[in-house]
Amino acid sequence: MESKPSVSPSSFVDQQVFPGDVVLDLSKMTNQTIKLGGGLRQDGDVISVMKAGKLRFSKPNKYWVESSHKRYVPSAGDNVLGIVVDAKADNFLVDIKGPMLAFLPVLAFEGGTRRNIPKFEIGTLLYVRVVKANTGMNPELSCMDASGKAAEYGPLKDGFMFESSTGLSRTLLSTPTCPVLETLGKKLAFEIAVGLNGRVWVNATSPSVIVLVANTIMQTESLSPAQQKIKVENLLQRLQ
Amino acid sequence: MDLEREGGRGANQLRPIDCTRNVLSRAHGSASCSHGETRVLAAVYGPKAGTKKNENPEKACIEVIWKPKTGQIGKSEKEFEMILKRTLQNICLLTVHPNTTTSIIVQVVHDDGSLLPCAIHAACAALVDAGIPLKYLAVAICCCLTESGQIILDPSKLEEQRMKGFVCIAFPSSIQSVISQGSADVGGESVGNGVITSLTHGVMPVDDYFQCVEQGRAAIIPLSNILKKRLQSQPASKQSKAG
Repeated sequence: MESKPSVSPSSFVDQQVFPGDVVLDLSKMTNQTIKLGGGLRQDGDVISVMKAGKLRFSKPNKYWVESSHKRYVPSAGDNVLGIVVDAKADNFLVDIKGPMLAFLPVLAFEGGTRRNIPKFEIGTLLYVRVVKANTGMNPELSCMDASGKAAEYGPLKDGFMFESSTGLSRTLLSTPTCPVLETLGKKLAFEIAVGLNGRVWVNATSPSVIVLVANTIMQTESLSPAQQKIKVENLLQRLQ
Repeated sequence: MDLEREGGRGANQLRPIDCTRNVLSRAHGSASCSHGETRVLAAVYGPKAGTKKNENPEKACIEVIWKPKTGQIGKSEKEFEMILKRTLQNICLLTVHPNTTTSIIVQVVHDDGSLLPCAIHAACAALVDAGIPLKYLAVAICCCLTESGQIILDPSKLEEQRMKGFVCIAFPSSIQSVISQGSADVGGESVGNGVITSLTHGVMPVDDYFQCVEQGRAAIIPLSNILKKRLQSQPASKQSKAG
């Protein structure tokens, strides 16, 4: 095999990486602190990739791999939509599409005491915040924000919930507002809750609006922003 | 004496490989892989809570179900399940999600030789699609030994049946690295050492076996590149047919 002068690429940032790729050499970066997000792990003196996706870097020192999947990896601080699976004495067991069921303590509600424990039936949809998500332990949830207020968390009544990928949820929650939601919002009135775990809940006064919003979001997932606007306008005309 | 292969393939030439991700809408990860006429469909569900009884709860558990094209499940299916389970346990990072089970279901759509490598590629692509943390990808190749002592790669079913013996080997795929690893590098890519799985059928001398391993190893980089290119150029999930 003839040997070409091997030129290793200096950086893989913003490129597609696959499991096993080595992206950082720590022996050349002493005295620096690096924060690793999802999809990367430390393997001795190098940082290597665990999941396939695009490598991203944010100043000053955060690296992570961006990928879109149907399952969710719980991480603290995320707002997710969970479904109650069981009610125990101390906490509710909630499914958040992760590797394990999550616990929602019975007292994690604003003004919650042992006397006014909410009664959630199996199958109730909740908008909750992930408080703790450690490896090997069940994640812990809460229906209060960091300062103890209720702040929109809690059960979601009526409406329609559909599941999609985590990538779509991130697009819907991005700033500036995603083009699909902006175009839909100009013509229709609806309420939407997006969970980072790939669940989206839509509510409106008439069922046809709910169906239109849900179908539009699902169908425009893989289109570019310009194509999304065109497609949304087409679908809106059908409603008129 | 050179062996004449169907379709005028050279001894080291592989059949066209195709790999598609996200083919099943309900599975958490899925992929369909084909080597020429051989096609395999793989689906991944998980990670789900809980491990099986005799498995270590400090690690993730991998469960493989092999479904043949026709016939009942028998001993040969169990053998494939065991081989695939050991191979995938090697490439998965089992400590990231302890006490969980990941199920991989492999369905044989058509078998035209080189079935196990095709299944390994399909299972790997399905794991990547599902987002299961992996150490590296696996690439596998089937080498067989003819009567005349020649070694050919990627046999079809007819060729497999006429051979003295054949071996299926799985290697860790080539990786991109920011560190150059010396002479093993070719333009920024490096090839890991070692073999993940090796399965032989028939009889062959030891020297020929090592020759097969070397020839298979030489085919890793092009094979990895083809698979990575196929895995990468997949758009988001298919749009719903309603509306």
